[in-house]
Amino acid sequence: MGLGGCAAAGSAPAPAPVKMISSVSIEDRVPPLAPIRAHPDRLFDFKVCIRPFRRQGPRLDTEVIGDTLVVHNYGHGGSGWSLSWGSADMAVQKAMSVSPKEIAVIGCGIIGLTSAITAQRAGAHVTIYTRDMLPRTRSVRANGSWTPDSRIALTSAAPANFGETWEQMARMSWKTLRTYLGLPGDPVAFSDHYGLSDTPRVAGQPRAPDPNAAPLPPRTWEGAPTQNSDFARYNDRIRDLVPQTQVLTDDNNPFPVKYVTRTSGLFFNFNEYGYLLMSQFFGAGGKVEMRDFHTPAELSTLREKVVINCPGYAARDWWKDRDMVPVRGQTGWLIPQPEVNYGLSYRSVQTLSKSDGIMVIALENGDMKGYNDSNESVRRAESEQAVRVLEELYSRFPTNPI
Amino acid sequence: MQGHILPAIMAVMMLGLGSAQAQASHSIWDGVYTEAQAQHGEALYRQNCAYCHGQTLAGTFETAPLMGRFMPYWSGTTLDVLMDYVNMAMPLGRMGAVSRADDADIIAYILKVNGLPAGSGALAADAAALQAITFDAARPKPAPPPEKPPRQRR
Repeated sequence: MGLGGCAAAGSAPAPAPVKMISSVSIEDRVPPLAPIRAHPDRLFDFKVCIRPFRRQGPRLDTEVIGDTLVVHNYGHGGSGWSLSWGSADMAVQKAMSVSPKEIAVIGCGIIGLTSAITAQRAGAHVTIYTRDMLPRTRSVRANGSWTPDSRIALTSAAPANFGETWEQMARMSWKTLRTYLGLPGDPVAFSDHYGLSDTPRVAGQPRAPDPNAAPLPPRTWEGAPTQNSDFARYNDRIRDLVPQTQVLTDDNNPFPVKYVTRTSGLFFNFNEYGYLLMSQFFGAGGKVEMRDFHTPAELSTLREKVVINCPGYAARDWWKDRDMVPVRGQTGWLIPQPEVNYGLSYRSVQTLSKSDGIMVIALENGDMKGYNDSNESVRRAESEQAVRVLEELYSRFPTNPI
Repeated sequence: MQGHILPAIMAVMMLGLGSAQAQASHSIWDGVYTEAQAQHGEALYRQNCAYCHGQTLAGTFETAPLMGRFMPYWSGTTLDVLMDYVNMAMPLGRMGAVSRADDADIIAYILKVNGLPAGSGALAADAAALQAITFDAARPKPAPPPEKPPRQRR
């Protein structure tokens, strides 16, 4: 069953009044969309991530521990996958300033791995020291869409020049990700995303609060955000890179929902992208050593005297970084449907169709959701509830006229 | 009355023994916890840790195991580092909710599961005592016996 799209004009001898297909330009018509088989029993995996959030933004400074230069590269909130290459570029520039032949990278999440590859491309021999390889890091518990300013900083705490730093990172990442498009398995790809709403959305106005959303937790300490608008937003700086949102007219709206917008977004297929990055790292002579670190003093045991520190949320305990705030996020995964080549948002539920499953996430309360929650255990009911929202949505489509 | 005093005296003696042991630098292989402590630790583990790390300490895809690679990953440190981590970072979601005394018992249980021998002194919770205990992945080799003087030839 296709969801709307182009209805074929009939050639019956007794012609019924033929309805115009659409007044919409051909290039803007919504193509046939395959339905998501949204049933809670098709949820085959759940992931809980902890976004490593720092109110002042990611930690990118350097410090010297004993005879070791440490370049920090962690704390990218919900923007790690998106900003990784740009952030790696900045870190490696600092690391290469002392012309090391060998560089150690701590951590093998997406920030560590892109830092390691970038350091190799700068001419260094790189060893990654990590307690887990990429598939078991917190990085792959993200949802994997290009969201470069998601929970990246608080407006009140970010340094005045962070906007420029962010833009530089975002643009460098965008350029680098471009080189991963179109490769076998689509490690990085674009897909359309439909924003569905029962009520009209006024441009420039914040979305109306979801009446079904749980109330926000009480503010726990001075300086903590209390509302979504406390989070810094920088996407306007790269408006020239990303497509804008298009409003679908009634004659171009295949959904049983009144107000629909469409945009296109970049996303990561973790398995293909991760495999490719690891292959590139090993292909360039990279080495991995499995180990854990507990105190900064342990860096003195390393052969390398230049270290790029990419521990993500683990910096809270390994580097005693008390500015690190956990922001919990949970995704449910429906069995993959390659024919579903789009994502949607409806009633605070968002989907993204990827090679390893259809990601479903509940986003009521926006960026505030999960703030200062470090509980990594799965709340299955949350994902099931999100799938039921989709189940109800798809049940409203007309039955397949076979 | 005597029935109350005797265990108290024994406890004081045991504590004294424990802290005396802790002062000298030694290894987790030297019997740094008691069997009773590990048993109490097991109950606390089931209550506070097993939800993520599993009943058998084997961990999950997302949660670190507390056996196997646990040994090399903590090797080279001292027990105060492990205590700090357990006390500050665990249990996930309610960090610091378990007291250091209870954490010491949980650590005793983890040591036991990893095949480290129990001893006669309980593992203390204070940092100085724990700092004197080295975390070695394998039993340190005993110091070689002093060389015998060469036998005199007749």
